[in-house]
Amino acid sequence: MYMLGAFVAYYGAQLLHLPFFAALIVAPILVGAFGLGIEVTLLRRLYGLDPLYNLLLTFALVLVIEDLMRLAAGALGSPYQAPDILSGATNLGFTVYPTYRLFVIVVCLIVCAAVYVGIERSRLGARIRAATEKPELTRAFGINTSRLVSGTFAFGAALAAFAGVLAAPNTNVAPNMGDSIIINTFAIVVIGGLGSILGSIVAGFALGVIAAVGAVLYPPISNTLIFIVMVLVILFRPAGLFGTPERSA
Amino acid sequence: MNPLHVFVSRKGVHLNTSRFWLSLVTAGAIALPLLAPTGLGADAGPIKIAVITDMSGTYAAIAGQGGVEATKMAVEDFGGKVLGRTIEVDAIDHRNNGPEAATKAAEAYDNGAELALDLTNSATAVAVDAVAKQKHKLEIVTGGASSALTGASCSRYTYHYAYDTYSLATSTGHNIAKEADGKTWYGIVPNYVFGQSMLSDFTAAVTAEGGSFVHSDMYPFPGTTDFSSYLLAAKQSKAQVLGIFSAGADTVNITKQAKQFGLDKTMKLAVGLLFLSDVDALPDVFAGSHITTSWYWNQDKAARAWADRYTARVGGGLRPTSIQAANYSATMQWLNAVKAVGSVDADKVQTYLDGRKFNDFYAHDGEWRARDHRVIHTMIVVDVLDKSQIKEPHAWYKIIETIPADKAFRPESQSTCNKDW
Amino acid sequence: MIAGRRGALVGAALLALGLVLPFLPGVYIIFAIDLVCFALVAMALDVLLGFTRLLSFGHALFWGGSGYVATILIAHGITSFPLALLAAVAYAFVLSALVGAISVRRSGIYFTMITLGIAEIQYFLAYQLIDLTGGDNGLTVATRGTFFGLSLEDDHVYYYLVLAVTAIATALAVRIVTSPYGAALAAMRENETRAKSLGYDTDRLKLAAFVFSGTLAGLAGALYAIANRLSGLDGVDWHTSGAIIMMTILGGIGTIYGPMVGAGVFQSLDYFVSKTPIGDKTNIVMGLVFAIVILIARRGIVGEILHHLSARAPRLVEDEDDPDLLVPDISAETA
Repeated sequence: MYMLGAFVAYYGAQLLHLPFFAALIVAPILVGAFGLGIEVTLLRRLYGLDPLYNLLLTFALVLVIEDLMRLAAGALGSPYQAPDILSGATNLGFTVYPTYRLFVIVVCLIVCAAVYVGIERSRLGARIRAATEKPELTRAFGINTSRLVSGTFAFGAALAAFAGVLAAPNTNVAPNMGDSIIINTFAIVVIGGLGSILGSIVAGFALGVIAAVGAVLYPPISNTLIFIVMVLVILFRPAGLFGTPERSA
Repeated sequence: MNPLHVFVSRKGVHLNTSRFWLSLVTAGAIALPLLAPTGLGADAGPIKIAVITDMSGTYAAIAGQGGVEATKMAVEDFGGKVLGRTIEVDAIDHRNNGPEAATKAAEAYDNGAELALDLTNSATAVAVDAVAKQKHKLEIVTGGASSALTGASCSRYTYHYAYDTYSLATSTGHNIAKEADGKTWYGIVPNYVFGQSMLSDFTAAVTAEGGSFVHSDMYPFPGTTDFSSYLLAAKQSKAQVLGIFSAGADTVNITKQAKQFGLDKTMKLAVGLLFLSDVDALPDVFAGSHITTSWYWNQDKAARAWADRYTARVGGGLRPTSIQAANYSATMQWLNAVKAVGSVDADKVQTYLDGRKFNDFYAHDGEWRARDHRVIHTMIVVDVLDKSQIKEPHAWYKIIETIPADKAFRPESQSTCNKDW
Repeated sequence: MIAGRRGALVGAALLALGLVLPFLPGVYIIFAIDLVCFALVAMALDVLLGFTRLLSFGHALFWGGSGYVATILIAHGITSFPLALLAAVAYAFVLSALVGAISVRRSGIYFTMITLGIAEIQYFLAYQLIDLTGGDNGLTVATRGTFFGLSLEDDHVYYYLVLAVTAIATALAVRIVTSPYGAALAAMRENETRAKSLGYDTDRLKLAAFVFSGTLAGLAGALYAIANRLSGLDGVDWHTSGAIIMMTILGGIGTIYGPMVGAGVFQSLDYFVSKTPIGDKTNIVMGLVFAIVILIARRGIVGEILHHLSARAPRLVEDEDDPDLLVPDISAETA
C-alpha cells in the first residue's frame, strides 16, 4: 500500500501532471478504494478464521502486486521530485536542513495526532475499537461492524499510501520499497502494543532514535536492535509498551 | 506375499506402515538399476552456453535479457557452429538466489553447457564458482563485482572478465585524488563485504595520491533508507569528496538525498558502482557523479559500431551496458579458444587462454591473467552528464581518463588467490 | 487421517514417488534433492503449525542456521558428513530449545513475531560475521564430505541418502503425532483450557513440539546446504520462512504428508515456471496460487483430497459442513 501510494503519485505526476499536493490527496483516496476492494472481495471471507490467514493472504497479494509494479515500472524504480516550494534547505540556526524533510516531519506529527484523537477520543473511534475487540457484542448494539472494519482497513491503506507519497521524494519510488519497511513496521506495532495508536507512534519515533544512536555507537548491531527490543517487549510486557494487558484465560 | 495385503489388514497401524515402507524400499532398491538413465552422447549434441543472470529482479536491466541477446549476437557472428557442432544459448534466471543459481548451473552443465556466463550478483557467481570446479567446466563472470572471485574464492575454472570492486575503487579514487580539489574524502559505506572492500580499496588509492579519508560512516545494511544523519555529518566535515560505496537502491537513495542537502554543490560525488541503465532510469539523480566503467557504448568507433548493431537488434533505442558488451566479448573469446584448441574441455581451453593477450571492441590491452584468472584490460573514468548536456539519447558519459590495464586491476603480486585452487 | 490405512497409503505413495523422482522426465537430480529437503522442512513446520497452531515465521533460523553450521565445519576441514550433520542438528536442537523456552508461552501474533525477530537477528549476524559466513557472498565448500568412507559427491547417492533420512524423519513424526503425546497435542489444540484442567502441562507440550519441529528443520537445512555445498543469506532470510509456510499451507496443515506434497508443488511451480517464457512473472503465479488456496481450498491439496475421500469417515480435525458459512475451522481461539 505504501509502495502503491508512491506509484500513484508518480503516475499521477507523469500522466496527468498531477502536482505533489494533489497527489498527497488523490493517492490515498485511490489506494484506500483499492484497499476497500480487497477487503470486501477477499479478506472478508477470512474473518472468523485464524487471523494468520489474513496475514498470509496479504503476504500473497504483496508478492503479486509488487511483481506487477516491477513489470510496469522496472526494478530500480522511478525518480520523484519534491515540489519546488519545498526543495532547497532551511537554516534552522544550528544547522541547515532540507525544507522537504521539515515538511515531512511536521505533516507526520499532525497526522499522527489527528489519528490518535480520532481513534481514541471520538465516537466513531470508540465504535471501531469496540468492533475489533468484541464484534458480536457490538453488532448486538445495532452497529454495522463489517462496514466499520472495511472502512478502517481502507483508511489504513490510505494512510500507508499517504506515507508512501511523503517518502517518494526522499527515497526512490521502487516496487520493493515496501519490502524493507514491512518487517520493521510489524515490529513497531507489536512493540507499541497492538491496537494502541499512541504506542505505535511512540515506538516508531523511539526506535528511529535508538537505531540512529545505535548506528553511531556500534553500527553492526543497529538493525538488529529493533528485533531485540521487540523480543524483550513481548517477553516482559506482552501487551506492548502502551497496550492494555490482555485478559488471558 | 502381496505387500498390499499387509497394510490393508486392520492390525496396528504403525506396524503396517513401517512394514509397508520397508517392502517398498526393498522393491525400489531392486528396481533402481533398471531405471538408471542411459547416458546421452556428450559429444554429439549442441554445445551450450548458459547465460545465468537476473532476468526478473534488481539487476535485470544491467544484464538480463540484454545480456542474453548480446551472447546470441556473438554466437551468430561466429557462425553458429564450432567443431562441427551447433552452438546454443540457454537463458537461465538465477533470481538472485545462491542455491538456485548453483542448482540451475549444475543442471545446465550436465545438459551440455560448456560455459556459464554473466552471473550478475556476486553471491550467485560464488555459488556457481563451486559448481564449475566440481564439474570441471568453465565459468566466466562478467556481472558479479566481488574481488573475492579472484581472491579468497578463486578457482581455476572461473575467470573474472569485466570489472571488480578493486578496479572501480582504484580507478575512481586515483582519478579524483590526484587533483588538488580531491584530497579529502568522506565515505558513506554499507556495512557488508561489498562496502567494506570498496572502502579499503578506495582508501588505498586515495592515500597513494596523497589524499585521505576524513571519516567514514559504516551504515547498517540492509534496511537503511534515511541517510540524513550521515549526510549532515559529511557536510560539516568540509571534505572535498563524498564517497558513495553502496550498490543498487541504496546508491539511488544516498545520491538523491545528498542532492537534497545540497552536497553536490560543495563536494564531488564519487559513486563506487553504477551502470548506464541506472542513469537511464534516474538521470537527475546521478548527473554530476564520478564513476568508473569497464566500457561505454560511445567510447570509440568500434564500441559505437557494435552498440548500433545491438540497439538495432533489441529495439526500443536502448544502449548496451558494459556487462552486456562483456558478454559478447567473452563469448567470442571463448569460442575462438575452443576452435583453436579443437575441444571444449575446460582444462585444455584454460591452458590456451592463460596468459593470452587480446584486443577487441570491448577489452583494450586485454590479458587472461594466468595467476588468478583475472582478465585485465583498460578501465575508463567518466563524469555523468546532465540531461541538458547530452548530445543524443543515452550518451550520459564524458570520458575523463583511461586507466591502463596494469594499473586498473589488483597487481599479481598482491593476489590472495590460493595456489592450490 | 494420518494414521490408519489412508495415511499409510499416502505415505507409501509419497515414498514411491520419492524413489522414482530423479528418473521422471525433466527432473534434474539436484532439483530433486532440493525438493526433498524442502519437503522435510515443510513437514517439520507442520508438526508445530498443524498440531499446536503456533505459526513460526522464523523457521529460516533453523534451516539456514544449521546450513551455515554444516558448511562452516566442512570449510574448516571437518569433512565427515555425519559429524557435520550432527553438529548442525545439535545447533538447531539447542537453538529451538532456547527460542521455544521463551516463545511458546505467547500465542498468536506474539509467538509469530518472536520467532521472526530472532530469525532476523541471526540474519543480521550472518551478514556481519564475514570471516565465518562469507557475508553477502555466501560460503561455498568443495565437498559434501564422506559418509563412513562412502563419497557423497555423486548426486544420486546423496539423493537417496536424503530420501532415506526424510523417510525416517517422517515415519518418526507420524509415529509421534499418532502417539498419546500427539493425542494430547490434539486435545490442547482443540481446547487448551480443558487440556490444562485435565492436568496437561501445555507449555511443555508446545515446547516439545517446537523443539522437534526446529530440530527437523535444521536437519533439512543442513542436508540442503551440504547438497549445494553452499550456505548463503537467502537461507536465513524471512522470505525463506514465508516460503516454508506457503508450502505447508499449500499441502494442507495438520496432515504431515500434505506439506511434503505442498513443498513438491511449490518447488516444481517455482522451478519450472521460472524457466518458461513467463519466468519473470514467477512470483505473480506463486502469489496467485497461494491466494487461491487460502481463499477457497484452505485445507490445502492433501487436506482437501482427504476431506472429500473421508466424507463418511469420522471427522478428525475439521468440522465444516457448510463451506459458505465460514465457521472457524479449529476453534482454539474461543476460550
